[in-house]
Amino acid sequence: MVAGIVIPSRRSMGTRIDALREEIVDLLPRLRRFARTLARNPQDADDLVQTAVERALARADQLRAGAAPAAWLFGIVRHAWIDEVRARRRRERVLAPQELAESVADRTSGTEADFLAVEDAMARLPEEQRTAVALVLIEGLSYKEAAEAMNVPIGTLTSRLARGREALQSFLAEPIGAPR
Amino acid sequence: MIVSDEMLMAYLDGELDGENRAAVERAMAADTEVAARIARHRALREKLRAAYGPILEEPVPEQLIDAVRTSNVDPARAKVIPLRAFRAPAVPRWSAREWSALAASLIVGALVSALALRSLNGTPVESMDGRLIARGTLARALTNELASRPKAGAPVAIGITFLSKSGDYCRTFTLAGREAIAGLACRDHDAWQIETLTRSEAAAASGGAYRLAASPIPRPILDAVSAAMAGEPLDASAEAAARTRTWTRP
Repeated sequence: MVAGIVIPSRRSMGTRIDALREEIVDLLPRLRRFARTLARNPQDADDLVQTAVERALARADQLRAGAAPAAWLFGIVRHAWIDEVRARRRRERVLAPQELAESVADRTSGTEADFLAVEDAMARLPEEQRTAVALVLIEGLSYKEAAEAMNVPIGTLTSRLARGREALQSFLAEPIGAPR
Repeated sequence: MIVSDEMLMAYLDGELDGENRAAVERAMAADTEVAARIARHRALREKLRAAYGPILEEPVPEQLIDAVRTSNVDPARAKVIPLRAFRAPAVPRWSAREWSALAASLIVGALVSALALRSLNGTPVESMDGRLIARGTLARALTNELASRPKAGAPVAIGITFLSKSGDYCRTFTLAGREAIAGLACRDHDAWQIETLTRSEAAAASGGAYRLAASPIPRPILDAVSAAMAGEPLDASAEAAARTRTWTRP
């Protein structure tokens, strides 16, 4: 009979997956925030998180037993974003600059001005610097965790972080409406 | 003491050990220039946290929570059989390749047996000259069904149809059952040759519920598709036109 060949169901794996699901639910607010530093549009950011968590669960066996899932998940969100950007380029449906300007202009109101200035400055950073800044300065990951999420050596992470910081300082020092 | 910018940032990021931290703090107390640089970096971090902090307070959309609680885990546990190994030509001595071909054919044998157990009006795949050919229900579905017009409750669901780099029509399929089996088949003369098969444990099938035939295509199959595909998947009208031509090369 074939019964001996059929892969046995792994109950222990199932329990581990359930625990992982709850850990991911707890991390969702931070994953959403990180996604917002990549995709500015909140709906796009949530779609990105959804893609990433589905991918994470599908690859749950890649998470080392006992390892904290945060760095691993941030890394998956980042990868999903890189894939998304590539797919958009293929479809040639990247937002035209004027559309981007409109979506930003849509919600300019008093208290949001500061957020927009920071978000704007972040958007001007190259992806690798922006991710380093988001993971360490906003999410509070250690250098080791952030390097792991970005799959680079710590030295590469710290130099991206340093360049990102300097660039942000200079962007934010520009008078509002300055030409780019 | 000269404090490098790198050291100063590491200090702020909590990455310095006790000795270096104390050194930076001494420098900060002694040198207003160092103190000013630290204040500048600290202000940047505060600005970033103030800007992005409120996102944490937003309610998380239910849809996301549902995705985490219910999303399938099976692609990770899928058993993928690249049939290139299965088709490896015989060589005089036992090479690693032959061993892997043997291993692959054993796994394929197990999958084929599992498929046969489904008794979908006969064995859906058959080994022929070292190739796997679709038979019975599977072959009929590959020839006759249109993904644009799925049938509820059908034992075989067709996914993507596309032209391969060698100019043949290929289609992905999923066989319904407690353990979903998905695959990629390409037209070879009058038959459908199975290029890749994968089985995934249906972790989501709690309570013994049968998976729908139309479950999403597992990633290993998608990978095989992107490796084989020339151009884009066929749209509904191109799919129908190909069927009318009985899948002969365009």
